[in-house]
Amino acid sequence: MFRNILVPVDGSPRSRRASLNAVRFAKEQSARITGIYVAPPYRPNVNEASIRRDFVPPHEYERRVKATADRVLRPLRKAASVAGVRCEALSAVGDYPYEEIVKAAQGRKCDLIYMASHGRRGLSLLILGSETNKVLSHCKVPVLVERV
Amino acid sequence: MFRNILVPTDGTALSRKAVKRAVQLAREQKARVTGCYVGPPWRPKGGDESISYGAESPQQHSASMEKTARHILDTVRREALKAGVPCKCIFSMGDYPYLKIVETANRNGCDLILMATHGRRGISRLLLGSETSKVLAHCRIPVLVCR
Repeated sequence: MFRNILVPVDGSPRSRRASLNAVRFAKEQSARITGIYVAPPYRPNVNEASIRRDFVPPHEYERRVKATADRVLRPLRKAASVAGVRCEALSAVGDYPYEEIVKAAQGRKCDLIYMASHGRRGLSLLILGSETNKVLSHCKVPVLVERV
Repeated sequence: MFRNILVPTDGTALSRKAVKRAVQLAREQKARVTGCYVGPPWRPKGGDESISYGAESPQQHSASMEKTARHILDTVRREALKAGVPCKCIFSMGDYPYLKIVETANRNGCDLILMATHGRRGISRLLLGSETSKVLAHCRIPVLVCR
């Protein structure tokens, strides 16, 4: 029923747990997996008067994003290769993670988004996480929300 | 991975689509399907002094709800039968459908709820339906939301 499952991860233990279940589900469905990590865009940490000692230039920021994406997507990649599921890892940069997730789902022709109910900012047990909620309301693709 | 898929339905076209998807997924996962319909409970009509014309007695109400439920849940049964998927249907009455849905899921050992973004009260294409978002907020098992 599902051929290409999009799995957004943010590096939190909750999203890791959900991503491992996504791999299991993908194996049963003989689907492939598209993992995505969304980083915030570059903002220079300077003001007009001074340059701080820990100033991050754009190319250095780009390198850090790449490293983070690699680290965050590694558990998913590893689980997929162990299970024998085809996996493609993407990273995107954007102010609103849900926009990038929805865009990736449409661009990559995913037919399911598998995500945790909360990720990094998960606070309450009762309410849905912010990005999950926004993905749900902006997306034409079915979403499987896993409680964590 | 999933053994028992709960599919709440209210008889609308969107939820019928969800039923089809649930049955298809159940067949692929070798799972069972549990259909559920939640009707409104009986409420007395009219004011204190009068009994309004055409009011239903509690018995009449539950009889008519049962008939509606059978009608709606029959679509689940038919789909499941066609696909050769074991199916059980549950009808309950309650003011808050989402509570009954979560309760049914827990009671029957369901491990996935598959439902449409909107049912009867869907107005906006952008926002999530009221019962769907409440089910999402109140249950501990995964929910697959279909557009």
